Amino acid sequence: MSEIANEIVNAELVEEKVLVRVENAVKHFPKRGGLFNRVIAKVHALNDVSFTIKKGQTLGVVGESGCGKSTLGKVVIRLHELTSGKVTFDGVDISTMSNSQLRPIRQRMQMIFQDPNSSLNPRMTVETTIKEVIRLHNVVPESEIDAHVDQLLQKVGLRVDDKTKYPHEFSGGQKQRIGIARALAVNPEFIIADEPVSALDVSIQAQVLNLMMDLKEELGLTLLFVSHDLKVIDHFCDSMLVMYLGNIVEEMPCDDIHANAKHPYTRALLSCNPITDPDQRGELTILEGEVPSPYHPPAGCPFVTRCPLKTTKCETENPPLLDRGNGHRVACWEVE
Amino acid sequence: MSAIGKMMATREAQKLWRNKSALLAIVVIGIYLLTALFVMAGGITRDTCDSIVGSNKLPGFFQQDSPEKRYENATTKFLSKIKRALTAEDVTAALKEVKLGPYHAADKSPAELETLVAKIDTLAAELDESPNLDIDPSILPKLAELEAAESQLKAPLSPWEQFVHNASVCLGTDSQGRSIFFRGIYSIKIAIQIGLVTALFSVALGAFLGAAAGYFGGWVDHVVVWIYTTFSSIPNLVLLVVLAYAFTNSAAKDTLLPVYIAFGATFWIGTCRVIRGETLKLKEMEYVHAAQTAGFGPIHILLRYIIPNTAHLMLINFSLLLIAAIKSEVILSYLGFGVKNQPSWGIMIRDAGNNGDVVGGFFWEIGFATALMFVLVLAFNILSDALQDAFDPKHV
Repeated sequence: MSEIANEIVNAELVEEKVLVRVENAVKHFPKRGGLFNRVIAKVHALNDVSFTIKKGQTLGVVGESGCGKSTLGKVVIRLHELTSGKVTFDGVDISTMSNSQLRPIRQRMQMIFQDPNSSLNPRMTVETTIKEVIRLHNVVPESEIDAHVDQLLQKVGLRVDDKTKYPHEFSGGQKQRIGIARALAVNPEFIIADEPVSALDVSIQAQVLNLMMDLKEELGLTLLFVSHDLKVIDHFCDSMLVMYLGNIVEEMPCDDIHANAKHPYTRALLSCNPITDPDQRGELTILEGEVPSPYHPPAGCPFVTRCPLKTTKCETENPPLLDRGNGHRVACWEVE
Repeated sequence: MSAIGKMMATREAQKLWRNKSALLAIVVIGIYLLTALFVMAGGITRDTCDSIVGSNKLPGFFQQDSPEKRYENATTKFLSKIKRALTAEDVTAALKEVKLGPYHAADKSPAELETLVAKIDTLAAELDESPNLDIDPSILPKLAELEAAESQLKAPLSPWEQFVHNASVCLGTDSQGRSIFFRGIYSIKIAIQIGLVTALFSVALGAFLGAAAGYFGGWVDHVVVWIYTTFSSIPNLVLLVVLAYAFTNSAAKDTLLPVYIAFGATFWIGTCRVIRGETLKLKEMEYVHAAQTAGFGPIHILLRYIIPNTAHLMLINFSLLLIAAIKSEVILSYLGFGVKNQPSWGIMIRDAGNNGDVVGGFFWEIGFATALMFVLVLAFNILSDALQDAFDPKHV
């Protein structure tokens, strides 16, 4: 009995272990021009972003186009360099590592890309694409590579015979499965999925999402799931981050997002989602105006230009992301 | 090469094979390549091209010279050599030395030869009485008799020698009596050789520099762009002439090396620019990001992900550069800065112009050189057009 109890305690400890920690991440993209190629403006893609992902957790990132959610994923996996701030993976600061130092860590974190049509090298067969990654990290001995590839393809629901084909011979959903197989080939712990289903048909979306869910359960993966679709996030994730103009405006568990969402932006996003049950339909909040230019974000709260609740304080001071208990953080002066 | 092999099995390649004119162009280019190989294997040597095979400006298709010229040929050239040999101290040895083109003295005793010479002289004296052989048809039988007597001085040719001689005069001779046909065919080798070496070198250099500049960006990009902007701001032909001049006193002046260097220095620019642009696009593709997140180094990504995906551009540029190199070679050789001391279409065209052939209505030399070049360039143009249609549909 006590052994079992210990195991449960241990399991809980492992559950609570933080795998990825992002601290005060800032990313600016300089715009150059004029005489001597000076920096004439900056896109503020990420603005002081901090969060953690626990082992085994699936964190969703949601927001409209250009809010920095894809940049966030790329910064975590070091496709983009941070302007300032820090990314820690399993206790190690990876934001200043050199490429060769990063290589062993790359094996533990992989990425699934948005567009299946451009995420596979058109001049390589499926087999070559996957084997190359396996060989780079010596995941399995040379003699077992073929079996490993076959196993991977079966795992993502592809026919083993298809491994000698080129990417253009597959459909979009199949290509995305190949992309998933490539990411899983090195047995990663952490996967960043950058809008993995937004380029697919709705019917295929469900298949791929279910596949990812099964794999997550089976392999105990930790996921950072970037999407612009609240329903997908709700369906797939344990908790979610809502981003607006490079800032996190709300972080909350995905238990009952309709009831719990507090930030006016999150509420507006939720109200745009069609609800099939007429009794559950709330009031529709329509946001006025445009997203401000990321070159010149507002001085105070980033959402101030469109917020229905704004006060004079909002125009001058950026609200901090305050913990409201139960892992729920909101950045708004008007929310209790 | 394997990348090109794989590319040939794709849908784009199928499109190329369906294009009838492209297939014809490929066949024509194949014939040129085989000819060039034949020349390289020693089928036609430089000596063959430089040797005198008949009278000057002999028209092609085995047409005869004018009677006046036939008379002159029969009573000078070979006859005068025989006469000189007969007056030498050691007549037998001197006769063995007699040689004109493929012809040697007939295997006859000096006495027999002297009889023939006397006969020719008599006939020649009779023909001399006619004021103008060209407008007097009545002398033609006598002229034929004279030629028959003259040909008895020559040892008969073996069937093979006869065939080679016929081939050499089939398109006539130039102003020095050299075979137009052989010189034109030999020039195919020169043209293909210069075209292939230049195009291979330029595409390889351009692709490497372009891909590196596009992928790494930063100072690598600045240096490469600076170099090709500088080179492309110098007028191409002027640079070629200057480089050719620079070699005039070196040991390499009679080889093709100056031409290779001149072309190699300028022809890579276009390819470099195109490949750099394509690399800028490709490096933002998600499969390149995927390779980066997998942990591959930049060299691996360049060689396996970027450059294979520019193979279609390299192929198109290769065929375009090949034509450009051949045309530039002809222009340079025409101006006297290109190929030296060996046949080239440019030199043939210049000779034809300088010697007043064209003005005088003798078109065989300029015609054959131009026709060979025209067909080759046309075939390559059709092929590169078809390649562009098949592999680069965005290109208009």
